[in-house]
Amino acid sequence: MKNKYKDLPRWIVFAIAAFVMNFPVISTLSTALKTNAEISRDPGLWVHAPTLNNFAVVLQVTERLNIFSYLHNSLVASLIGSILPILVCFPMAYAVARRGYGTDVIFPTVVNLRAMPLIIFAIPLYMMYQTVGLLDTRLGLGLILAVVNLPLALLLLINAINDVPYELDEAARMDGARIFTILVKVVFPICLPTLATVFIFSFITAWNEFLFGLMLTTSEAVPMTVGASFFFSSGGGGGQWGVAAAVIIVASLPPVVLGVLMYKHISRSMTAGAVKG
Amino acid sequence: MSPKTENRILATPIVLFLLVMLGFPAVLDILYSFSEVSFENLRSPTLNGGKNFIKVVNDPEFWAASWFSLKFGVATALSECILGLVLAVYLAPIIRKNNWMIAVLIMPMIIAPAMMGLMYRLVLHEFVGSLPHYLYLWLGDSPAFLSRENVFLTVFTIETLQWTPFAFLLIYMAYEAIPSEMREAASVDGTRPWRMFWFIEVPQMAPTLAVAFFIRFIDGFRVFDNIFVLTGAGAGGSTTSLSIYIYLSFFRSGDIGKALAASVILFCVAFVILFFAGRLLRRDRA
Amino acid sequence: MRKSNKYLATAAAALLAVLPSLASAEVTVLGWPGGPEEVALRAAAKLYNSNADVSEDNKVKLIFFSRDGFYDKLQADLAAGTDAFDANLLATYSIGRYAPYLKPVTLSDNAAEVFGDAVLKTMQFEGQQFGVPTDLSLHFLYYRTDLIQELLEDASQHDKYGDISEEYLGVRLSPKDPDNWSWQDFAANALYFTKSVNSDSPTRYGTVLQLKNLLFNMMVFHSLPRAYGADWMDADGNITVDSEAFREALGLFKILVDAGATPKDSFSYEYAEANAAFGAGQVAAMMQWNAAAADLMDAKKTPVTATVTATIAPPTGPEGRFTHVHGLGLGVNASGKNVAGAEAFVQWMSTSEAATTYALNGGAPGLSAEVVAGIASERPDLVPLGQFASNYGFVMTGGTSAKALSVYELQAKEFTGFLSGGQSLDEALAKTATGMAELLK
Repeated sequence: MKNKYKDLPRWIVFAIAAFVMNFPVISTLSTALKTNAEISRDPGLWVHAPTLNNFAVVLQVTERLNIFSYLHNSLVASLIGSILPILVCFPMAYAVARRGYGTDVIFPTVVNLRAMPLIIFAIPLYMMYQTVGLLDTRLGLGLILAVVNLPLALLLLINAINDVPYELDEAARMDGARIFTILVKVVFPICLPTLATVFIFSFITAWNEFLFGLMLTTSEAVPMTVGASFFFSSGGGGGQWGVAAAVIIVASLPPVVLGVLMYKHISRSMTAGAVKG
Repeated sequence: MSPKTENRILATPIVLFLLVMLGFPAVLDILYSFSEVSFENLRSPTLNGGKNFIKVVNDPEFWAASWFSLKFGVATALSECILGLVLAVYLAPIIRKNNWMIAVLIMPMIIAPAMMGLMYRLVLHEFVGSLPHYLYLWLGDSPAFLSRENVFLTVFTIETLQWTPFAFLLIYMAYEAIPSEMREAASVDGTRPWRMFWFIEVPQMAPTLAVAFFIRFIDGFRVFDNIFVLTGAGAGGSTTSLSIYIYLSFFRSGDIGKALAASVILFCVAFVILFFAGRLLRRDRA
Repeated sequence: MRKSNKYLATAAAALLAVLPSLASAEVTVLGWPGGPEEVALRAAAKLYNSNADVSEDNKVKLIFFSRDGFYDKLQADLAAGTDAFDANLLATYSIGRYAPYLKPVTLSDNAAEVFGDAVLKTMQFEGQQFGVPTDLSLHFLYYRTDLIQELLEDASQHDKYGDISEEYLGVRLSPKDPDNWSWQDFAANALYFTKSVNSDSPTRYGTVLQLKNLLFNMMVFHSLPRAYGADWMDADGNITVDSEAFREALGLFKILVDAGATPKDSFSYEYAEANAAFGAGQVAAMMQWNAAAADLMDAKKTPVTATVTATIAPPTGPEGRFTHVHGLGLGVNASGKNVAGAEAFVQWMSTSEAATTYALNGGAPGLSAEVVAGIASERPDLVPLGQFASNYGFVMTGGTSAKALSVYELQAKEFTGFLSGGQSLDEALAKTATGMAELLK
């Protein structure tokens, strides 16, 4: 009983933080559950006459709008865009963290990509994709999403490898293990929690990307963010806010579910490997 | 295998990947940045020396946009890290027992920034938005969130609310990774909680704090989606970040040479800063 | 320098060599997504495909992009020589920009009788026809009949109305029927129905101005300066933006903004926000695109105000009554896979049969008086549309040039900069004039 009282301020802070930070999401959810008439009469959070109509509109497959195909495209492209960066960054991160290799050119170049509006590559990429047939394909979209995710992956992985006790791979090296064995057998397992984090962040970033999705796809590989905007007619027109809100909710659901599920995985592997140093 | 060869092999995947994906675009972009080029003559640009660069450097809007981005990047990164640190440390005792709380707190950053901008367009609208609705109901008035005077504060708040969870998550993980023996040893020595926080826990989390700040700064600096959806370039260009400046020059004005010259400048400046940061880091290590 | 140019050209040519185009089984048409235009185009395409003399190879398949960034993507596609579609959307203000990638078209023999020359002109650039017109976009004055009626009948309020107009506009005005409004009357009415000016006002704001820094908002604005005789340039090609007409117009807007006659966040408002404000019943009158009429006058979509909303042509000024007008249409992509098929479809779209089908399914084509008479009972709203376009429609000199979009973009930035208090009127107009001279030279 006494314990509960002690934590009460913390719970209050948590409740406030959670409410304020999630306010737009809560408000959008409320809008998605309202009829058009209620949206323009009473914009408050409370829903007087909940309806699932807006969601029905969104989930209906029509000749032109197929939300399941957008979801599928996003899933495939985002998986490519989140796994590939881990594969190519991991060895590099080791070289940077352990040997200071590449801090002059490669590391700043890659990290710089995050500071750039990558859209400047859109036109040349478009031409290149056109030539090699990657335009309007999930692979093509996934590849550029991987580029988008490189900087964060590299940064987080370097940070993680820095945290791995140096003695561990030194010991393995003494035992005659080769560098790749060390990477795969020693460093990789310890870094798993960070890898999971990198994967989640990359997946979410890839899922949420809009401009490349818009520029590089036309009909076959349209991702969810771009597909979602198909539902917003004439920028709202006064009557479409409900459907727009519903599609935002549906489009955001997969990454939210992933975040929630994978979080448990992270915390578990973290407690397992917590004792170090 | 010599360490040198090893290093090269370790670097191969990422270098190869970058060359394949961005090699041609980068070369073409650099050529374009030295050319008179628009959408009409993409395939036959004419070189014009450094004219685009002169145009950019002499453009007061380029500097205004750079200043906006810098201000925005520093302000949001700072507030996000402070808020994230406070939340992570203060809430850690109850989060430890209730992991689901993390899921609730990181929700905002999982939403696409473009969608978030769209949501705020709805939420802040004077007639269909819930926030002005309640403000009118309770206070009888609602401020002009997106007026010239208030717009910076508004987009700053929006960005902070969406990305504090990022800083929070990284910092919380670092906080929980602090070896418990360290805390126990300190409390056996009679260290008070505040001292423990400042002299033991913060230094332990310093690398993570630095990374969190750095990542948030970069993301804030290149902010695009949410502001673009909400206010576009802003009245008279008042919310033009560097990314928006480049995007508008590129697509709307069709001045591709100028847009790319601005990007090249941005890249070089950032590169130099990171280059020296890398040097420092290495000297530190040595 | 020449040498490197040559290398560049060769490299580009080598990299961009388009694969031999395969014989295509259909005609891909890119339309304007999401609105009545899409529904209408679907109906028309269905009818076309059911025609017996259209071979299997030439059936029409429709595709649509996202509305967000539509023109940015279209531009990238066309500039890179895409073959993802054979015919695509065109707008009057972007014809000049896209003309290099399009193939001029030949319309059906009686196209002039179906649409009239003025409407056909919206799809012409430098004397050549680049597309078939499908929809017309222009502006209506939307107003609340209940509020205006009450004001006209209640003579006790007329003094107050006069006082307000005298104080803010410097002239004493009395309430009038909106069809007889000058822009001064529009402003006086906006001020009278504003709570911060007149605490008895039944609405919070007298009007809603769309002031987001966005090129389309400049089109909505232009009907006002045009009524004072404004143009972008004169016959000799001199830029005439720094004129009395633009000063009057911007000055009038500034008065409304400063008096709080438009919602506080107007500098982030565009089409949707303005509709939402009007639909909430807190605005007495506004300028808006004709496309909004369908939603704003539908009691299901706009329950609060639909039954008391009316539309009329924009107010008048010393030089007359004007509305910005532009056409949407379909043109032929020169690098498409099935150019001949696209040409056939575009030609068919200019027949009376196609235009009528398009109109009956929700489109808003600008039709000649004879053709529109045949469908007036189903689409009464198309009658004033055609009338307004021919009586009041205008296009600024230079408004179809390759850089027209950039000019709108520039004005949006400078004018909103002035209206939001960021710079003086002189500064804004001087900067606009310099920029336009550069763009339109």
